[in-house]
Amino acid sequence: MSVSMAPSHDLKTILSKLQFPDDAQVMRQIVDHTLQVKMRMGRIKRKIVVMSGKGGVGKSMTTVNLALAFARRGQTVGVLDVDLNGPCVPKMLGMSGRRFEITPDGAAPPVGPLGIRVASMDFFLRDEHAPVRWKGSMELSPVWLGMLEMNVIREFLADIAWGELDLLLADLPPGAAADKPPAMANFLPELDGAVVVTTPSEVTTDVVRKSVLYARDVGIPVIGLIENMSGYHCPHCGHESDLFVGNVESVAADLNVPLLGKIPFDRELSQRCDGGRPMLESAQPIAKRFDDVAQRIVDCLNFRQIVADTL
Amino acid sequence: MKFVCLNCEAFMLFQKVEQPGEGTLGVEFLCPTCKARFSMVTNPGETQMVQALGVKIGGRTTAPEAFELTRDTLKDGAECPVPAFSASAARAADTPSTGDAAGGSCPFSSVVASMGSGASATGSENGPTSLEWSAEALDRLAKIPDFVRPTVRAEVEAYARKSGESFVTQAMIDQYKGTTAELAWTSEATKRLENIPFFIRPMAKKEIERMAREQGRAEVTADMMDHAKTAFAKFMGG
Repeated sequence: MSVSMAPSHDLKTILSKLQFPDDAQVMRQIVDHTLQVKMRMGRIKRKIVVMSGKGGVGKSMTTVNLALAFARRGQTVGVLDVDLNGPCVPKMLGMSGRRFEITPDGAAPPVGPLGIRVASMDFFLRDEHAPVRWKGSMELSPVWLGMLEMNVIREFLADIAWGELDLLLADLPPGAAADKPPAMANFLPELDGAVVVTTPSEVTTDVVRKSVLYARDVGIPVIGLIENMSGYHCPHCGHESDLFVGNVESVAADLNVPLLGKIPFDRELSQRCDGGRPMLESAQPIAKRFDDVAQRIVDCLNFRQIVADTL
Repeated sequence: MKFVCLNCEAFMLFQKVEQPGEGTLGVEFLCPTCKARFSMVTNPGETQMVQALGVKIGGRTTAPEAFELTRDTLKDGAECPVPAFSASAARAADTPSTGDAAGGSCPFSSVVASMGSGASATGSENGPTSLEWSAEALDRLAKIPDFVRPTVRAEVEAYARKSGESFVTQAMIDQYKGTTAELAWTSEATKRLENIPFFIRPMAKKEIERMAREQGRAEVTADMMDHAKTAFAKFMGG
């Protein structure tokens, strides 16, 4: 006797009649993850990512100094170091070696200068020279790595007990890691926007243009550009001169994004970042620059109000 | 992912998840109508992918804790002085984890080891310390251009560790040298290699050559391909 195993309907017809059962509870857990992110982020008024298409342009330095500038304005600020493999925000803020405190409410972020709350992969590492290494064989299949990093970012958004914040600044890794901006946009649909860091170099601005267009493609509004290493600030006479040749104004105009400010190369700032001794006061001209950029960001985020007031 | 019983036109229902071997998951489904049972078995790469999702198939049995995926997956997590965390013990009763059953840092280390792969066999996972070298071995090392010397030294030491040696001699360098020589492939072996889907061919070639070197072969032959096939089938439980 033979039994016919041929289905009487095609798969599309069969599926149209069935209701998907989440009996393995995978979808439920993914929904729970999303809700947890929403719950945490709901207590943060403004969320901004700092990004660039290029590495080495000073994203982390910009993030740290913007955080300080906002904190000087009296805001409660958090910094999320999304550069999982090259976290350096803690070092710049003098917070190397600090750890999360795991509580039933989540991971309490270490608090740094001016009350800035910081979350970074660095807080999980054995020491400041230890690389981020994941369990799992890269030889068998490293395909899982992107998904793992996305879920680690999701945990950074969902599991940190930030409390009430006026602003969360997220320092993204270089643009080559093209999955991070869409991951952030996906997790944070209410993201206020991206601050894009560039330098006066045609090579950099070419790549930065791509990242601005890419950010828009994935639904991240671009708040504006910051040109870093924009000239050299002489520590002796205070004179500022060009270090490289660039034209960020025309790039900003072409892309129709505001130029938020230009930050000159400043030896003292560089040394302070390396040494974990951030500039806390606005006394230095370079710190004042970041105060001005912070003001412009506030203006850009509140542009409707400004238009209403001034038009 | 769901399975559909085409005969009964019904979704098969999740029954249980188990760990039939290190680095693999077996997810069992049952057709509610004809009661047919199927088990989907994952290979190590797929298991890793499932783990990366950060979900427990079949649902959670313990309350979630902050950063559980990050902390469980960081290779150096055990050394990270994060405040006391008891999730590991609690998780033992949870959905079977593919990690660290053997105490190694790679969840598939025992699988890979059982295949004889060198993937995790290159010495201590936590930064190997230098081995001792004989004077003759050091002399030979000194003849290598200085810009590649650190790489060669690390590779020879990794090979020595894999061989269970803690002292590098001239003979050890010769053996290591043998592993770096390019292997010849017979046309028949090459033809059989081409039967493997292109996207996994480089991985398979590397693994077959490693097995051949372990057997002291200078050439990959059809016979070697048979041996590799048996080893792969054994690994997959075939």
